[in-house]
Amino acid sequence: MLKKYYILLLWLLIVAIADAQSPVQKEHVLKEVVAQANRTEIRKSEESLNIEIIKADYIRQHLGGSLMKSLERLPGIKTIGIGSGQSKPLIRGLGFNRVVVVENGIKHEGQQWGADHGLELDQFATYQVELIKGTASFMYGSDAIAGVINTNPAPLPSINTIGGSVDLVGKSNNNLYGGSANLYARSRKWMINGRITFQEYADYRVPTDTVHIYNYAVGLHKNFLRNTAGRESGLHLSGGYIGNQFKSLFYISNVFNKSGFFANAHGLEPRRVNTTLHDKSNRDILQPSQEVNHFKIINRNTLELNHHRIEIDLGYQKNFRQEYNQYVNHGYMPPIYPDTLNIPVNLEREFNKQVYSVNLRDYFQVGLHAFTAGINSEYQDNNIGGWSFLVPGFRQYNTGIFLYDKITINNSFLLHAAMRYDYGMLKMQEYIDWFPSTIDQNNETISQKLTRAENLQRTFQSWVWSAGLNYNADKFNTKLNIGKSFRMPIAKELSANGVNYHYFSYEKGDPTLAPEQSYQVDLSMGWNASKWSVLVSPFYNYFPNYIYLNPTPYHDYDYGAGNQVFQYAQSKVLRYGGEIQAKYKVIKSLTTEVSGEYLYAKQLSGNKKGYTLPFSPPQSILLNLTWSPASGKYFSKPYFSLDYRITGSQNNIVPPEKKTPGYQVFNFQAGSNISLNKQEVQLSMQVQNILNTRYLNHTSFYRLIELPEQGRNIVLSLRFPFKIKEEKN
Amino acid sequence: MRNQNFSKTLIGCGLLGLMSLSGCTKDDKEIDTEYPTIDVTHADAFPKQCSVLTRGETIVFKALLKDNMQLGSYSIDIHHNFDHHSHSTEVNSCEMDPIKGPVNPFLYIKSFPIPDKVSSYQTNTEISIPGDIDPGDYHFMIMLTDAAGWQTIKGLSIKIK
Repeated sequence: MLKKYYILLLWLLIVAIADAQSPVQKEHVLKEVVAQANRTEIRKSEESLNIEIIKADYIRQHLGGSLMKSLERLPGIKTIGIGSGQSKPLIRGLGFNRVVVVENGIKHEGQQWGADHGLELDQFATYQVELIKGTASFMYGSDAIAGVINTNPAPLPSINTIGGSVDLVGKSNNNLYGGSANLYARSRKWMINGRITFQEYADYRVPTDTVHIYNYAVGLHKNFLRNTAGRESGLHLSGGYIGNQFKSLFYISNVFNKSGFFANAHGLEPRRVNTTLHDKSNRDILQPSQEVNHFKIINRNTLELNHHRIEIDLGYQKNFRQEYNQYVNHGYMPPIYPDTLNIPVNLEREFNKQVYSVNLRDYFQVGLHAFTAGINSEYQDNNIGGWSFLVPGFRQYNTGIFLYDKITINNSFLLHAAMRYDYGMLKMQEYIDWFPSTIDQNNETISQKLTRAENLQRTFQSWVWSAGLNYNADKFNTKLNIGKSFRMPIAKELSANGVNYHYFSYEKGDPTLAPEQSYQVDLSMGWNASKWSVLVSPFYNYFPNYIYLNPTPYHDYDYGAGNQVFQYAQSKVLRYGGEIQAKYKVIKSLTTEVSGEYLYAKQLSGNKKGYTLPFSPPQSILLNLTWSPASGKYFSKPYFSLDYRITGSQNNIVPPEKKTPGYQVFNFQAGSNISLNKQEVQLSMQVQNILNTRYLNHTSFYRLIELPEQGRNIVLSLRFPFKIKEEKN
Repeated sequence: MRNQNFSKTLIGCGLLGLMSLSGCTKDDKEIDTEYPTIDVTHADAFPKQCSVLTRGETIVFKALLKDNMQLGSYSIDIHHNFDHHSHSTEVNSCEMDPIKGPVNPFLYIKSFPIPDKVSSYQTNTEISIPGDIDPGDYHFMIMLTDAAGWQTIKGLSIKIK
C-alpha cells in the first residue's frame, strides 16, 4: 500500500516540475505573501482562547531534545520527559490525555498516557506550532481539556519554484549529530515536498558522579547516564493539487525512534548492571530500550463553493511501540522463562495501534456571523504484546459534531459561541496471565492463571460548550472565554489490573468511571505601546470529577503480588494560575523580557482531599535580555540573547512524589543569517545550562530516583536554504 | 534565596490577586507529606542486610515501622537473586555466590495489615522456609505504606543455606 503512494507522489513530482515551466499570474503570488504575514496577528486577535503561534525560526533558536522541549521556554508550557530526546507536553500542569496534539489537521495518536516515552514528531518538519491554552473540546473533542498543540508544515511554496534546505545540528552534551534535508517543487497547480531527517546521540551527561536510586548509590562513568543513547529518523513526502477552488494535499510520514533507558533503573527499580559492557561505548543502545515507529498518511482537501469553504481531512496512523528488557521474574512469574511461550524473551511490552480519522468542516458567513460546522470521527484498534501486562487491547470509536459562531459586532468587538455533542464507545479485550498465581479462594490456596481484564464495553456521551469575547482597541486588547470540556476515560483508567513493576504498584482501573468534565474561565489582557508591552493571562478551572491514580495504604496479595494498591478514582479539583509576559525596548537594538507562570491545584474531595495533582510544575520566572544589532553586509538579523530562569521549589506534592528544591539556570542563544557568495546560511548557537548547574526537574520521569537534569550543552545548528528555480517578477 | 521568594510572591500574589486571594494564604488543613520508615538495623531486627537463613527453619521477621501520622500496611516479598539482578537498597554489599540458574527457588509473597491509628509498630511475623528449596542468594523486600499512601521500600540481600 505504501509503495502505491510513493509512486503517486513520484508522478506528482514529475508533473510539478514539468508544469513549473508554465507562466504565472503575479497578483496571486502577492496575495499569498500578504495573507501569510498578517495571518498570525489576525488569528490571535480574533480567537477568544489564549493562543500563541510559534514559527520554525523560534524552534531553531531554542532547539531542544524534542519539539516539546523546544517549546518549554514559553510560559505555561512544561514537559514531562525521559532521557534527552523524549518528552510530552504539559499545559498549565496538565498533560498526557488532557492535551491534544494535532499534526496536519489530524489528532496525533500514540501512547499518550505513558510518562516514559515521547511524542513521535519530527521538529525539522514542523514549520509552525499553534499553542492553545484553555478548554478547546468544542473544536477538538475529547481530551482537549488543558489545550491543544497544533503543528503545521511549511506553507505552500510560491508558484513555479524549486528549492529546499539542508539543516545540520550538533550537540555537545550527548554528542548528538544529525540533520534534515528538504526538497520541494511547485508549479501553478501541483506541489511536491520531500524531507529526510536523521539524528543520533550518545548517553547524556549530568553534573554528578553518583545518583541514589532509593538509597542505592550508583556510580556514573564520567558523568554519563548509562544507556540513554538513541537515534531517530524521519521520512516525509507530501504533494498534491492546488486549484483555485479545490485543493487536495497528501502528507505521508514515517518517524522512528530507538533509545535506551537508564540501565541502573528501569522504571524505578535499582538494578545491578554489567558496567564493563555498558561503559565500553556511550553510543550503543543496550537493554533496557524502546523502539517506536509512527506511520501516517493524511489527505487534506479544501473546496470553495458558493460562500462555503469545505475542508475534509482523512488520516491513517499506525503507532508501533516495543520495550525490550531482559526477563526478570517478579511476583508469581516463573523463575525460568518458559520456551513454550511464543513471546520473545526480551520483549517486555508491545503496543500496536491503528487509527483512522475523518474530519469535516464547513466555514460560511451569514451577515455578521462566521459559522464553522464540523464533524470529527475516529476509530482505533489497539493490540498489546510482550510478557508484562499493563493495559488490555481495545477498540475505540469516537464521533463529535459541532457548530461554532463568531459574531463581528464591530471592528473591535467580537463574540464567540460554540456547542458540541460527542459520542464514544470503548471495547476492552479480555487478558489472561500466561503464568499461574497463588491466590486465596474460599479459604483455599489455589494456583491459577488470573484474568486481568474482562471483555468490557462502555459508551459515553457528552455535550460541551464555549462562549467568549474579544475586544481590540488601539493599544489595549482583552479576551474572555468560558467553556466546558470533557475527556473519555482511557482503557488504562477503566481496565488496568496488574502490577507495574516500575513503581512496585498494583494498578487497578475502575470500569464505572464517568467522562471527566472541566469548566474553565480564561482571561487575557494586553497593552501594546511603542516601547513596551504587557500580557497577563489568568485562568480558573474546576473539575467535578477529575480522574487520578490514587496510591492507597493497602497491599494486594491475590492480584497485586503483594504490591501497593494504586486505584483509579475521581475527585473534585480546583485549579487556578496564569502567565504574565512583559517586554521593554531599552534602545532600538536592546530588548528585555520577563515572563512568569504560576499554578495552584487542589483536590477538594476523595481520598487525597487537600493534596495537589501529580506533576504540578512549580512557579517560575524567566528574565531575558536580547541584543539585536543592525544587519551588515554579510550578517543579517544577528541576535545575542541571555535567559535567566528562576524556578521555585515544589513542596506541594501528592504520593508518590517527592518535594523538589528550587533552582536557577542560565541559557544563552546567539545567531545570524550569513551571506556567502549568494548562498545564505542561517546559524544558531545555544549554550544550555551555562553553569552546569545540578538541579532536579519536578516533572521529569526520573525525578523519583533523584536523577538530575542534563548538564551544560552547546547546541550548534546551521541551515542552508536554497532555490534551484525561482519565478522572476 | 531572597530573589526566589520575591519572584514567588510576585507571580503568586500579583497575578492571582485578580481572581482569588486564597492562593497566598496557607492551607488550613495539614496534609501528610512524609514517607514512613522501616528500621532494620536496631538490635532486635531480623533479618538484617547479609543475614543467613537456614532451610527448614521458621524465622521471625522483626522490624520497627514508623510514621509521622498513621501507618497503612506492609508486605514481604522473598525471591531469588541467583542472577544478581539486585534490588538491595542498602549501602553495604554482601558476599555473593557465583551466578547460577534456578531449579526450585523459594518464593514468598504476603501482605499484612497494621492495626488502625498506629504510628509505630514492631513486626513479629513468622515465616517458614521450606526444606526443599534452592539454597543461595535471595532478596528480602519489605514494602511499607502509611495511611496517606506514601510507600517506603527496603530490599535486603540475604542468603539461605
